Amino acid sequence: MRQLFNQLISFPYFFKIAQISFPYLFLLSILVILLGVLWGVFFSPVDVTQGEVYRIIYLHVPAASVAQSIYYTMVIASITYLIWRIKMASVFMISMAPLGAIFTFLALFTGAVWGQPTWGTWWVWDARLTSTLILLILYLAIISLFSSFDRRASTDQAVSIVVLIGGINLPIIKLSVEWWNTLHQSASITLSGSSIDNEMLIPLLISIFGFYLYVTAIGMRKMQVEILKREISHNWVKEIFIEKR
Amino acid sequence: MKSFYFKTFQRDSKVYLSRSSSFLGPIVFFLITITLYPLAFGSDEEKLAELSAGIIWISILLANLLSHQFIFNEDYKDGSLDLVLASGKSLFLWASIKIFVNWYFSSLPLIFLSLLTSFMLYLPFDAALILALTLFLGTPILSMFGALAGALTLERGNIVGSSIVIPMCLPALILGILAIQSYKNEELFFYIFLLAAFLFFSIPILIASCLGAIRLHFE
Repeated sequence: MRQLFNQLISFPYFFKIAQISFPYLFLLSILVILLGVLWGVFFSPVDVTQGEVYRIIYLHVPAASVAQSIYYTMVIASITYLIWRIKMASVFMISMAPLGAIFTFLALFTGAVWGQPTWGTWWVWDARLTSTLILLILYLAIISLFSSFDRRASTDQAVSIVVLIGGINLPIIKLSVEWWNTLHQSASITLSGSSIDNEMLIPLLISIFGFYLYVTAIGMRKMQVEILKREISHNWVKEIFIEKR
Repeated sequence: MKSFYFKTFQRDSKVYLSRSSSFLGPIVFFLITITLYPLAFGSDEEKLAELSAGIIWISILLANLLSHQFIFNEDYKDGSLDLVLASGKSLFLWASIKIFVNWYFSSLPLIFLSLLTSFMLYLPFDAALILALTLFLGTPILSMFGALAGALTLERGNIVGSSIVIPMCLPALILGILAIQSYKNEELFFYIFLLAAFLFFSIPILIASCLGAIRLHFE
């Protein structure tokens, strides 16, 4: 177990693993997303109260779920970096933050498209929408930190401090925003059970799974790029690319 | 023999007093912003009374952004930060004193001013007292987040800093406003206590992360 962990946090080993597994993972994720979304859009029953519009949840819910999960994994990575100084953790944070921003934006966008016919407006200042917007701002602020230092190590440390403080603060922000206003329907899927009918739930879960696979694949690719940026002058990089020729 | 920490306090206070821009800057900014709102929204008494608590809180939040680069920046530029780091004194206490002096000179005047401006914005007197109380609890949080942002971006300007500070400070703003809005009910204490909890919760975390942020410039 420990050996496996040590191998995964070494740049050359991770690079090779990602190089091999990326095409399969990427293809698989596209297939799973297509399966989930197409099933959801064409074959699952129509919602009684919301009509056909509800079908956007097959994009909205996975995007929102991924957007939040990325932040939590980044918090774990930041703790790892601050305690053990594992460089892979900072590579992870720096590669994942843009992805998180994109998916948060996607969640807000699909939410607005859904809200227009359902609530009659593109945007309401509801607790969840507001805290998602704040999540987006936080992601963008973190991304803007990337270029504000001259040295690599300073960037890594600054980013991990901000991610950690944001991670501590995010639940507080969420709670305070909830006291401030609530309109959004509460979460339909919890660990104890779900209020959604199975025929809608199964494609939704497939779609969520597909989004997670997609983020894993793209995240690995982005981490490879980040590793190459940092290690471009090292011998193992040259070996890999000369062997390929 | 005066202790190192007391001397830090004295020296910082003298620096703030001798440089009018550092403590007058936020005051002028605050007064201008307060004036802008009635000019933009009209001088209708009821409307302003409804908005006034939010106006004052937002103006103070923005005015705080002006002063936070002063906290550690000059010590970094003239090299005294190196000496403090090498001296082996308690950095935690040292940073707390610096943040306290910054709060004392940039936020405390604004709290008193906010009591005066609340009459100009037709806020009821009871609510104005609650406003001052929430500001007493809330502005140290703003100063500490400002210090963190200033410590992160010692070399560069504070554009990045403010985009980090504002989203992090939102709970303070929301709890403060909620407390003022419910100044007649018993819920008031709920929000005041939560705001106080947020303050005491953030003191150790934020000052420790300030020190982490300072150290990263010396690695």
